[in-house]
Amino acid sequence: MAGNDLAIRVRNVSHQFGEEGSTQFVRAMLETSLDIHRGELLCLIGPSGCGKSTLLNVIGGLLTPTSGQVLVGDTEVRGPLPQEIAYVFQENALFPWSTVLENVNLGMMFQGVPKAEREPRARKSLATVGLSDFANHYPGQLSGGMRQRAALARALSLETGIILMDEPFGALDEQTRMVLGEDLSVLLSRTGKTIVFVTHSLGEAVFLADRVAVFSARPGTIKEVIKIDEPHPRKPGFMTSEKFTDLRNTLFALLHEEIRKAMEQSVASDRAAGGDGKS
Amino acid sequence: MTSTAYPTQPRSAVPLGRRFKRWILARPGVARLGVIALLFIAWEIAARFFVDKIFLSPPSLVFTQINTVFETTGVPNALRVSAYEIVVAFVMSVAIGLAVGLAVGLHRFSQKSFMPIILLLYGTPQITILPLFILYFGIGPASKIAFGVSHGIFPIIVTVVAGVQNIKPILLTSAKSMGASRWHIFRWVIFPHMIPSFFAGMRLGMTGVLLGVLLAELYVSTAGIGYYTTLFTQSFNPTKLLGLISVLAAMAILLNEIVRRAELHYSRWRSD
Amino acid sequence: MSAAPTSATTASDVRKSASQKSAKRDRSALGSRLVQAAFVIALVGLWYIGTTYGQISPILLPNPVRVFDELVDVLATLEFVSDLRITLFELAVAFSISATSGVVLGYLISRSQYSIRVFEPLFAGIYSVPIILFLPLYILFFGLGPASKIALGVTTSFFPIILNTIAGFGYVERVYVLSARSMGASDYQLFRWVLLPAAFPIILTGLRIGFTVALLSILGSETIASLAGLGHRIVHLAEGMDTARMFAYIAFAVAIALTLNTVTSSLEARARRR
Repeated sequence: MAGNDLAIRVRNVSHQFGEEGSTQFVRAMLETSLDIHRGELLCLIGPSGCGKSTLLNVIGGLLTPTSGQVLVGDTEVRGPLPQEIAYVFQENALFPWSTVLENVNLGMMFQGVPKAEREPRARKSLATVGLSDFANHYPGQLSGGMRQRAALARALSLETGIILMDEPFGALDEQTRMVLGEDLSVLLSRTGKTIVFVTHSLGEAVFLADRVAVFSARPGTIKEVIKIDEPHPRKPGFMTSEKFTDLRNTLFALLHEEIRKAMEQSVASDRAAGGDGKS
Repeated sequence: MTSTAYPTQPRSAVPLGRRFKRWILARPGVARLGVIALLFIAWEIAARFFVDKIFLSPPSLVFTQINTVFETTGVPNALRVSAYEIVVAFVMSVAIGLAVGLAVGLHRFSQKSFMPIILLLYGTPQITILPLFILYFGIGPASKIAFGVSHGIFPIIVTVVAGVQNIKPILLTSAKSMGASRWHIFRWVIFPHMIPSFFAGMRLGMTGVLLGVLLAELYVSTAGIGYYTTLFTQSFNPTKLLGLISVLAAMAILLNEIVRRAELHYSRWRSD
Repeated sequence: MSAAPTSATTASDVRKSASQKSAKRDRSALGSRLVQAAFVIALVGLWYIGTTYGQISPILLPNPVRVFDELVDVLATLEFVSDLRITLFELAVAFSISATSGVVLGYLISRSQYSIRVFEPLFAGIYSVPIILFLPLYILFFGLGPASKIALGVTTSFFPIILNTIAGFGYVERVYVLSARSMGASDYQLFRWVLLPAAFPIILTGLRIGFTVALLSILGSETIASLAGLGHRIVHLAEGMDTARMFAYIAFAVAIALTLNTVTSSLEARARRR
């Protein structure tokens, strides 16, 4: 774990969509506060609709919260901070009309990296994720796991202190997730970046995170923060250890009732909308 | 975990201008009507103050004097004949299109042999042979109907063939595994599956028929609608000309809408 | 394949059935080609026999040989040039106007979801009316010269172009825009590197459709009311009962149209291949 610097400070952030009383009104997230330390890997986990992705978007400056504020270093977040924060999306945000290398270059161009520096940085980050041989391929020609590695390379090349990842492995099969998770852990232990990571997977949260923030059902807030005291890089053996299982069980216990609540909510709202509760 | 009440502003505190802006922003349909109204107003102003009266007539005049269009001898009859031509051409297009589409689409081989020919014909500019149609069928309704049919059958054939060919093989396999005969498969699997495509084809077919019949009508300047459009044009009567065009446009919109509703109704099971 | 072999399913059997299937496919492809050829030959054959030995009036259906001779004459004497030039000129002007205005206006409208919701149904609605109805209006306004044809060509081709442009720019996947913004893209950078390449294939399709439709409506208006152009030439020959030469010009016009269609389609396909 890193020093006492706080990379990100979330202060009483809450968010709602739409106007109260209108049909599109959704209370996405209740007042939430959180301190994220420099160099730590923090996981946000919770049932569907609990607000974890909303919080991530607020931290990343992609969403202005209806109340509260987020501070990155000493700056208040009022919009994207491309110099400090890189964002990796769940559904692949690689531009399909550009090659992998072009994608990475474009990211740096948007950020403002001078032209001469882009190519070496791009090549370096592609090598880090193991995609050097696929630099001139189009995303459509790659598998899901490779595409997410390319998206990660793009984020790494921006050389920000903070990386936000919204269920980056969500669209992948379990085996690919496991392998990429291990790779990510190795990578992160080397770079010392601050990572905030949203996931649905309990195993992923325990395996990767230094701390796990558990959300309650919608409208959610952070129910509890679990500490995972295990050095990086995490070995594959950690996954089968007793410590891992205990932590995972703790998480499960915390989440289980929230997931039930979320399911009941969705059935209720479906019925209210005239459905048969079966979808 | 605390839940705080969210303060809301009382309605009276929001200024009227902003309330209107929010209201209109929530209703694009109203804004659209506003745009249409603006266009009509622009037309009115342009016709009244900027353009010579022999070239353009304001909507206020066109629509209040629409009865003069109908009172012109022969116009109601011409309209009736045109409507008749469209309906007949449409019915014939549907019948022929369905028959040919099924004949071609049901077998891989016939589809591969004849579709390229059909697509080639579909892609040729039929307007070039309009004078031939008039030569062969005369200036009466027959040529208009024929030209309408010639435009209407192709989209129907193409969509029927597509509807038959696009059936997921798994559906056919499961029917066969339950022992369905070839007639059963056609009646209960292929035919219902093809219906949404068929209706989509009919919508395009109606567009084609309208185009074909109207083209033929406008071309023949010695009788029918074409006679009156030519008459009003040559006598520089924009009021009546615009009136006649509006009636025809209304007729076209109505017919298109009928077919479109039918399509929506019969495609309900489609999830795509 | 791990099933216990009851009949001996060897690798060579699998290969054999695959090659049998492809041979069968080749045979049926050949078969369809033969049917097409037979169809065309039969059609032309009937035409020839009917007009040479039958009692069909040459004013109604001229002999294919005569049509061919007339076509050769038209091409050799370059008689077609003046009409073709006019038609192509009208097409070029009409398409330039509708393409630029359609793409620019389409982009402007696509900038907000609200304006898309206001304007797109409006354009789609107008497009569903047969635009040919505007022709008498344009004749009244512009006379029988090229201007009325150009006006109709612009009106007809404007709609598919603007509708496709709105669809292209307006429905770019949100995640691409968010991603670019999160990396610090400016408005210009967003347009140049995200919106434009994302929208490009759809816009190109709209342009191709617009081009085709412009040509058709120009030929149509030349047929209905004109003093010059390919459409007019065909009508003129029909009125003069010179059916053989008319057939020749029809063949010529169709060939021009098909060529232009093929060129635009292949341009579109090539640009879309990335």
